Amino acid sequence: MLFFSFFKTLVDHEVTVELKNDISIKGVLKSVDQFLNIKLDDIQVVEELKYPHLSSVKNVFIRGSVVRYVHLPSAAVDVALLEDATRRGTWNSEMG
Amino acid sequence: MENLSIQDLPPEGGPNDVAPQTGGPPQLPPQMFTTAAQLLDLTDKKLVLVLRDGRKLIGVLRSWDQFANLVLQDTIERIFVQEVYADVVRGIFLVRGENVLLLGEIDLDKDDYIPEPYRKVSPEEVHALTVKANNEKKQTDKVRATKLHKLGFEVEHSGEILF
Amino acid sequence: MADAGDGDVAAVSEPLDLVRLSLDEIVFVRLRGDRELKGRLHAYDSHCNLVLGEVEETIYVVEDDDEEEETVKTIKKQSEMLFVRGDSVVLISPQAAS
Repeated sequence: MLFFSFFKTLVDHEVTVELKNDISIKGVLKSVDQFLNIKLDDIQVVEELKYPHLSSVKNVFIRGSVVRYVHLPSAAVDVALLEDATRRGTWNSEMG
Repeated sequence: MENLSIQDLPPEGGPNDVAPQTGGPPQLPPQMFTTAAQLLDLTDKKLVLVLRDGRKLIGVLRSWDQFANLVLQDTIERIFVQEVYADVVRGIFLVRGENVLLLGEIDLDKDDYIPEPYRKVSPEEVHALTVKANNEKKQTDKVRATKLHKLGFEVEHSGEILF
Repeated sequence: MADAGDGDVAAVSEPLDLVRLSLDEIVFVRLRGDRELKGRLHAYDSHCNLVLGEVEETIYVVEDDDEEEETVKTIKKQSEMLFVRGDSVVLISPQAAS
């Protein structure tokens, strides 16, 4: 549940999701669920011309299992809190 | 994945029954972090569904569950190869969740906008080009896999076209 | 690097304990899809989902034009903060900062 809670703290931040098929999609994180499925708003596809099927798409639901990376804004991440939560194997309620 | 070709209406009830509501106001909390809440927003909308094997299906989302198993109605498959594409009418799809890569809501203001230089051709033409492109890809993938294997990387997705 | 036998820091009794000792240290991660990462480990869970900071990603690519030797090239990318999904992770190795 650690990363589920972590992603909830990042809602409304701009992130870039890189999928296992190499597509990178930048957008505003709108929602996440327990499987780390992700919803992005106002998306922009990196190398847009390679993926013409997404050019008329404004928001996406990405299945968590196909995500390779999520690039995050480091300013939105409290590193000390994150490490502490990881060490304790718990997630403080004030963070989630 | 099943391709049901019957142009039938989806079962009564459907997605609105999935999120159980017991009394109270008939709406979800503004931020509910569940699969159901995420998919509920997309229900009855025109979507592009990208599958793990690279297929692109365009249709209306009618039903789903917590695994992201989906039912799409009035589906067409849009096949891209090089700089052309074709649409093939498919009908109703029931897609098993694990094959779902992403679901994109189509902006109806930009509906069916395909950027240059892509142009629409017949399904037959696209099919011929696809066969050719796949054969070439098999060759280059083999060379690539052999070289990377020497560096200790594993050969994966062999045979599966991922994009 | 934290020492495994150090005071109240529990010893390594299961594989992920080694990863716990690498928290806030530089780690090397090998991934599926011909990729490697080096960065500071800020979080992980039992699926090997990770958050790394100041990451350098190395991607191994094969030039497709010719069949000659030495056509494997590397691409380097930087990322300030990166979530890595655990199912891509092949191995995590503690690295002394260099």
